[in-house]
Amino acid sequence: MAGYIIKRLLSAIPVLLGISIIVFVIMAMIPGDPATAILGSYATPENVEKLNRDLGLDQPMIQRYFIWLGNMLHGDFGRSFSLNRAVLDEVLERFNATLVLAGTAFVICSLLGVAAGVISAARQFGLADKLITFVVLLGISIPSFFLGMMMILIFAVDLRWFPVSGMWPIYGDRDFTALIRHLTLPAIALAVVAAGVIARLSRSAMLEVLRQDFIRTARAKGVHERSVIWRHALRAAMVTIIPVLGIQAGFVLSGAVYIEIVFQWPGVGRMLVDAILTRDILLVQGGVVIVAACYVMFNIVVDVAQSLLDPRIKT
Amino acid sequence: MTFLPLTRRAMLATTGAAALTLGAGIGFADTPPNVLIVGQIAEPKALDPAAVTAVNDFRILMNVYDGLVRYKDGTLEVEPALAKEWTISDDGMTYTFTLRDGVKFHDGSDFNADAVKFNFDRMLDESHPFHNTGPFPLAFFFSAVEKTEAVDPKTVRFTLNAPYAPFLSNLAYPTGLIVSPAAVEKHGTEFGRNPSGTGPFKFKEWRSNEAVVVDANPDYWDGAPKLEAVVFRPITDANTRTAEMLAGGIDLMVEVPPVSLSEFQGAAFKIYEQAGPHVWFLILNAKDGPMADKRVRQAANYAINKEAIVNNVLEGTAAVAAGPTPPAFAWAYNDDVKPYPYDPDKARALLKEAGAEGAELTFFVTEGGSGMLDPIAMGTAIQADLQAVGLKVKIETYEWNTFLGEVNPGLDGKADMAEMAWMTNDPDTLPFLTLRTEAWPDKGGFNSGYYSNPKVDALLDAARKSTDQAERAKLYKEMQVIVHDDAPWVFVANWKQNAVTSDKVEGFSLQPSFFLLLGKVSKT
Repeated sequence: MAGYIIKRLLSAIPVLLGISIIVFVIMAMIPGDPATAILGSYATPENVEKLNRDLGLDQPMIQRYFIWLGNMLHGDFGRSFSLNRAVLDEVLERFNATLVLAGTAFVICSLLGVAAGVISAARQFGLADKLITFVVLLGISIPSFFLGMMMILIFAVDLRWFPVSGMWPIYGDRDFTALIRHLTLPAIALAVVAAGVIARLSRSAMLEVLRQDFIRTARAKGVHERSVIWRHALRAAMVTIIPVLGIQAGFVLSGAVYIEIVFQWPGVGRMLVDAILTRDILLVQGGVVIVAACYVMFNIVVDVAQSLLDPRIKT
Repeated sequence: MTFLPLTRRAMLATTGAAALTLGAGIGFADTPPNVLIVGQIAEPKALDPAAVTAVNDFRILMNVYDGLVRYKDGTLEVEPALAKEWTISDDGMTYTFTLRDGVKFHDGSDFNADAVKFNFDRMLDESHPFHNTGPFPLAFFFSAVEKTEAVDPKTVRFTLNAPYAPFLSNLAYPTGLIVSPAAVEKHGTEFGRNPSGTGPFKFKEWRSNEAVVVDANPDYWDGAPKLEAVVFRPITDANTRTAEMLAGGIDLMVEVPPVSLSEFQGAAFKIYEQAGPHVWFLILNAKDGPMADKRVRQAANYAINKEAIVNNVLEGTAAVAAGPTPPAFAWAYNDDVKPYPYDPDKARALLKEAGAEGAELTFFVTEGGSGMLDPIAMGTAIQADLQAVGLKVKIETYEWNTFLGEVNPGLDGKADMAEMAWMTNDPDTLPFLTLRTEAWPDKGGFNSGYYSNPKVDALLDAARKSTDQAERAKLYKEMQVIVHDDAPWVFVANWKQNAVTSDKVEGFSLQPSFFLLLGKVSKT
């Protein structure tokens, strides 16, 4: 097992290096430079040149890449010029907020999705199945930002049950209840689409398993139906469901961008969008590398979890 | 199968309990009394006035700092602030300011002539020990300053390298706000997150991406503010900002989207509107192609229905522009210059005369950007109007920074027309940077359409050198007549800034400078 984990960790290195090169090249290639973005209407060639020099962007590209990479290996991600702050501080703080949002949404969509899928499969073609299939289709079809906007209008503006936006109250205690209040709407809006996908795939995974011999054997032995479904069948189906959860975790993380914008959640997705628009090169690069590293790590965890459940995968 | 009812009941119970805990108790409608919550359009970059360029940041800074001079309430004319009075030498090269007595920075240090000198040296002198707290992108506002001297603690003297009339109004601009030297020395490059000035509010805390909080400065030289504190919240999405305003999460909202204004009709809200020093125009390529002919440029001005654009596309949030100078510069604005009327027949006649019927034009449009209002919808309306008089217009759309990268180096060989908007603080700035022969892109200016008229050049040079406002006004008015007739641009719109407050907010008004001044505001 340890060997497998080490092997997977080592294989992450070229992936991350590749990502660092890609994001660096993309930022170097996109038209418009940071100085133009800062100066706006005042971007004369002269002003742009001076500001680029002040920002250290007048060196050759290759040299800039290796300086950046070298600094990064020492834990120095540089300074964001649009926020006037160390990139690492900003990214970690924002990533934290994204993890709270995406993590909650992921828990919601996994629990709801798997439960709905299992119930659906257990009652195939029954009323519950039809109802769930309908709701799932609806959930998959609504764009999350639209759902978010609608939820704000209904639950925050009209009913005033929840705050419109933000992660913490502007005044008052930053306690757990305050966080839950702010988290509820965005987490649900973010979870809905992924929950739908998970429900559909869980349903087919369960149907597959329920047709197998060992389930018939279990039923024949007189095992309680609840136990057949939730213990025997679900455990076998999890081998198929877990990779789906892994992929959905990625979708939830990237889908957070829209939700963060709609709900003004101080997360890393919104940060990256803002950083791209202001051509904040170091913040984009640092942010992407750190987020990619987390995503790669998460995939490794999923793979390891899967290999624990299914010994055949360990190679 | 019996497993479902239990789960369902448990789920209902949990949901019910959750709804009770979350919904009960605090209503989210009320913001604290006497604390004003302002919905901003973005997270500020820094609270160092010399280091920032965005109006969004200026909205905070103008409440934390003062300049030597400021704009008189409701105008773009300069009046004393930290300086009590000043004299200008006859040659327009030396400005001597007498400073206000007994003013202290929020950190307790004294405001004096040395502090003023420190501020301008930090920005302009690359060998200054704190020049590294930059970069200072708008330092060129003061590039005319040769040296700054502290004559005595209450007197400061600026020597310019050439007469430069906009100097005073540049001092009223946020780039000229005075920061505490002691705070810069203490915090170095972190000063932008630990600001200290002399303004009506003093900095309390900055919670990244959540809020900047400033407290009242009870010792403010111009009278203590009525509010206890102001909280600036960044809410980038305009729809979310509108929802926060409707839900009572903020007290004041700036840059209300035109389509959302109708939401705020009614007694619970107050709507404010103020025209600013903004011009939205089309740069026309006067160097080559059909637009090189003045008659074609005039035809474009006649062909475009500007009334329809400001009323239908912009929902009345802008007024039709008449010429290159916005009416907000009341003292320099020529009332006799009227907008080109919408007259498609006249446009067709001019095109025929110029032999440009059916000419093909490339039109650069941007997706959005500072002061660009609703550029795609406006561009499409313009395209339709020009097609109606027989021109064939091809739109090319670019993201803002890409757009600037295409337009600023000049339209030559690329396009016949491009959208553009400017917001300035002196009637000198825009024409000086965009209409002079010396401002062609290859000479480092923004005259991307290569307009050139020696008379305009001479008028603008003279206006920049004169220190007499009446004399300057005369020169600018003359310039507007010529530029209106030469039509190097299609003059489209002057933006009216808007804001909404709750009915609890008193004493607020928008300024033509587009600054947000909260020193006299109260909340019941």
